[in-house]
Amino acid sequence: MVEISRRTFIKATAATGTTLAASKVLFETVDSVAQAEALTLAPTEDRVFTTCWIGKQDCGMSARRIDGRVVKFDGVDDHPRNRGTLCPKGQAQIASIYDPHRVKTPLVRTNAKGVPGEWRRASWDEALELVAAKYREVAADDPKLVLWQKGRSKAKSFYDKAFVKAIGATKLGHGAYCSDTGYRAIEYTVGLHGVLHPDLLNAKYVLSWGWNITNAGGNKLCWITWPQQLVEARENNGLKIVHIDPRLRPAGPFADEWVPIRPAGDLALALALCHELIRQGFLDRPYLTTYTNAPYLVGEDGLFLRETVGEGDEAEEVPLVWDEATRRAVPVTEATSPALEGEYTVGGQTAKTAFQLFTEHVADATPEWAADKCDVAPDTIRRIATEYGTNARIGATTVVDGVEVPYRPVGIMAYHMAQQELGFPALRAMAIIPMLVGAWGAVGGQLADFTWKIHKNYAKFEDLKVEEPPYDFILNKSKFFPINTGFPGIVARVMQDPAKYGVEKLPRMAILHMVNPVTSFASQADFLASYEKFEFVAVISPWMSETADLFADVVLPSATIEKYEGPLSAGDGYIDAKAIRLPPMDPLFESRGEIDIYLDLTEKMGKLTGEGGYIEHLNKELKLAGTEFELPDGSRPDVRDIFDRWAKMEGLSGIDFFEQNGVWVKGPISPTKRYGYVTDPPFGGAVHRLYGESLLKAQRLQKEMGADEVYWRDYTPFPTWRTPTMEASPPEYDLYLISYKLVEHKQSRTSMVPLLTELSGHQRVEMNPATARRLGLKEGDEVTVESHHALTGETRRVKTVVRLTEGIRPDVVGMPHHFGMWTHPANKDAGPTPNTLYFTDEGYVGMTADAVFHVKVRVMKGGDAA
Amino acid sequence: MAIDLDRCQGCRACVEACKIENNTPSAVFWMYVFRLEEGTYPDTSISFLPRPCQHCHNPPCVKVCPTGARFHRDDGIVLTDFDRCIGCRYCEVACPYGVNFFNWRKPEQAFADYQLNMDDPDLAAVTGGLIPPYRNPDLDELQGDEQRRTAGSAHYKGVVEKCTFCVQRVEKGLDPACVVTCPVEALVFGDLEDPNSPVSTYLRGRDQFKLLEELGTDPSVIYVGGTPPTPDAREIERPMTGVGNANA
Repeated sequence: MVEISRRTFIKATAATGTTLAASKVLFETVDSVAQAEALTLAPTEDRVFTTCWIGKQDCGMSARRIDGRVVKFDGVDDHPRNRGTLCPKGQAQIASIYDPHRVKTPLVRTNAKGVPGEWRRASWDEALELVAAKYREVAADDPKLVLWQKGRSKAKSFYDKAFVKAIGATKLGHGAYCSDTGYRAIEYTVGLHGVLHPDLLNAKYVLSWGWNITNAGGNKLCWITWPQQLVEARENNGLKIVHIDPRLRPAGPFADEWVPIRPAGDLALALALCHELIRQGFLDRPYLTTYTNAPYLVGEDGLFLRETVGEGDEAEEVPLVWDEATRRAVPVTEATSPALEGEYTVGGQTAKTAFQLFTEHVADATPEWAADKCDVAPDTIRRIATEYGTNARIGATTVVDGVEVPYRPVGIMAYHMAQQELGFPALRAMAIIPMLVGAWGAVGGQLADFTWKIHKNYAKFEDLKVEEPPYDFILNKSKFFPINTGFPGIVARVMQDPAKYGVEKLPRMAILHMVNPVTSFASQADFLASYEKFEFVAVISPWMSETADLFADVVLPSATIEKYEGPLSAGDGYIDAKAIRLPPMDPLFESRGEIDIYLDLTEKMGKLTGEGGYIEHLNKELKLAGTEFELPDGSRPDVRDIFDRWAKMEGLSGIDFFEQNGVWVKGPISPTKRYGYVTDPPFGGAVHRLYGESLLKAQRLQKEMGADEVYWRDYTPFPTWRTPTMEASPPEYDLYLISYKLVEHKQSRTSMVPLLTELSGHQRVEMNPATARRLGLKEGDEVTVESHHALTGETRRVKTVVRLTEGIRPDVVGMPHHFGMWTHPANKDAGPTPNTLYFTDEGYVGMTADAVFHVKVRVMKGGDAA
Repeated sequence: MAIDLDRCQGCRACVEACKIENNTPSAVFWMYVFRLEEGTYPDTSISFLPRPCQHCHNPPCVKVCPTGARFHRDDGIVLTDFDRCIGCRYCEVACPYGVNFFNWRKPEQAFADYQLNMDDPDLAAVTGGLIPPYRNPDLDELQGDEQRRTAGSAHYKGVVEKCTFCVQRVEKGLDPACVVTCPVEALVFGDLEDPNSPVSTYLRGRDQFKLLEELGTDPSVIYVGGTPPTPDAREIERPMTGVGNANA
């Protein structure tokens, strides 16, 4: 073989070196030198395309392989999202492939639950049959009592959605922890499924609100793309960044101005900015009257005045506006010049425009009023409003690719900060800021997604269902949460006290797909108390999660990156592209790709083929149904073939296109897709909701059904300030605890990568030196952090060490997520997770059933208190 | 190499790319990024400083090396010949930048901190027990006209190692791993003596500084944007093991 001769050659050339190396035998053993020589093999080198498995933006990667063994990942040059580069997580994930601490074979528990697991290795056949048998038993009662839950979806979630539908399970996502409050607020307000990001490449002035901008990606994208666009926009447009966050670190040197806001003061600041924009006259009247419900007439009962338009099946109730041309109230569809402001008498009752009411609503939300709540100086608020309003260039247009589009180069970048008690109203208010100046969907302006595809929740939220109990265990359509994100923390509460929530049937079995509620979610105490109530828990994960360690009956080992997944969106907001995750190696140990596992499971459950089976749902979810590429029912498909069919349906040669090219770059996103003003219909056809009429209707229903005030108080038509619950903790709990992401980490999967845990170090509580002095603490001191529940008086404690930084408010302490695990040596003993300190019951949950990462704490010297 | 501090976001992708490409064990950072903080709340500022070997034109480490193991190549790269290094650590003392790392342990021991258990039989069945499992065979090649062992090689116990500008890549016409991976293209590599090289073009007309320029080391790593860290700068977010500028 050719290899042998090359190997002999290399050995010969290395011989001189060996002689010299022997001279330092004092330090080096001959063994090591010999090993170096033995490794001088003649390798076969190749490259295969794949996709990052860590972050949510699925960067394109090329795996360099030596004899089939991956030795390095590099970015794919043509991939719009990472343009040939990789972040630290993308680089370091190679260690997960070879991690000997992965779950190598299916495992079956041999000891009691609730304590660290003892396991025996099982065959795939046995383990799958155990899960399937329990499923058949529970499904005979009610398949909805099978809870399926997944952490971050790493691709189009077609295969798992198909699984849930085929087996009829109840689905919970990783949502309600990430930024879901923001999603609900934006779906409600403008109809897009997203939170807030600017048209960054064209923006001039951006409010970076919360901890995302250079540290944690944000809306729609994970990390690399936003930083790339940020750098480009600063160099090309002189983009200015105003960083609104209790910590400076998330924007670091990219903060032109740091506004260290008090935690949970965001709603007050947003309302004051609205107040100032209105007071200073920064209003885009044509946009407000044309594309929002601002001109709608609101009657004395708080509801829109309406009139029936059309007849028979065509008849619909259309809101009225005041038409200035004819000086009368007319259906909005017939108005030529709707009044934005004013009070009118219509049909004997007084009606005001929604905008008039909003102006009155924020009349008292002066900078001075807000300063008291968010601790931002009134002059600063006024100046930011002026700068934002001036930079908005109301009335300006620009031409993009031959299309004239309004130009409002101001935006807000906000994502994870949404998870606060008043998160929904805060994000509503923050969405109203660009509404006032007409920046939504403008060039350089406010976006929430890459296109203007209106999410189904927009229509659903027009008519919020509030029904009488009994409720399902997620509390859908309940008097508690008319808008319901689906909060695992609430499910954990419900499981402990179903009667309180009007729930009759609790889940009996859980299938947990790479999700680790015990340490990744709050509140840990609730998960510990509720997960032991499951009769059976099956875990699908590459690692023994803490949840699996305590509660799994069966663990099915899934692969890390070595599997097929997709299709993956690969666009950066300006260029559209698609990719597939291709396996750079065969799955290590006995692990299998998730799609294979679901095929296995449904086969065992008797749900693979036939009507309503997994294959039928795969065809539907991938839109293969009815095409010539449809998967044939009747036999188990090959996973590569599934993607081959999808690629062919898309008009490509097949999956070989991705094997050869890595990414399918479809081309630039047209301005008529990207900018809401010029989509057809404009803004995807959604009327932007300044006034939240349906929120008020929901509140009335909640009251009628006897819901406690804590559940209905924030269902208000305009975002309305109230003092957050945590403020009622006694004065000795003098600090706000916030938590956040580190750039080295993403969810918990990176906590298994020793090269990354090396960078992130040990858990710490970040504290301002002035605070430390006041408390008699110094850098490195062991401390106890104790949180306090303002309504129940419950306290929770963790032990950690002090890290000092001048980049944090003196009344705030911060702890990153990613800690508190114990099953993997890469993160064991690295300190606690802040999720042990948070609460997830009344007062500490958002109105949309969303987690809240704010609590008042005190920090005490010494770790013994914990 | 040029490093643009107006672009760097301190993410340490370069650190990790270096660690994978060069197979360095735990607590060894041939490329390191300091995250620095200055000032007092609320007038606080944060800066980032990537710090590879400065590949000095007047390298103090070369002058003190008693065996000629540390040498300055004609192309400007400062390298260690691992077959000549006797581990006296003079270079480590002489270098004002703290980029040298002494290998106290055998590779298998040094990598043990990464918990990769390379001898795990199930893993060895796939990797042949390589240390680390993603071992880069290029590091075993010999470089330059003299065919010296200057890439990371086996990370022998008892030698001093440091950034090589990825000599095994440069010899193939590739940029160093840190440069290629940088998401914001803050690192630019090339021949500073060639006025048309990418790095020379990048630097032209921009304010520049070099680290500890007053010592006369004449580094070939040139910083643009930002400002040199002042003595008041405090390091934040230090790694768990090692501090980046020492083997501690």
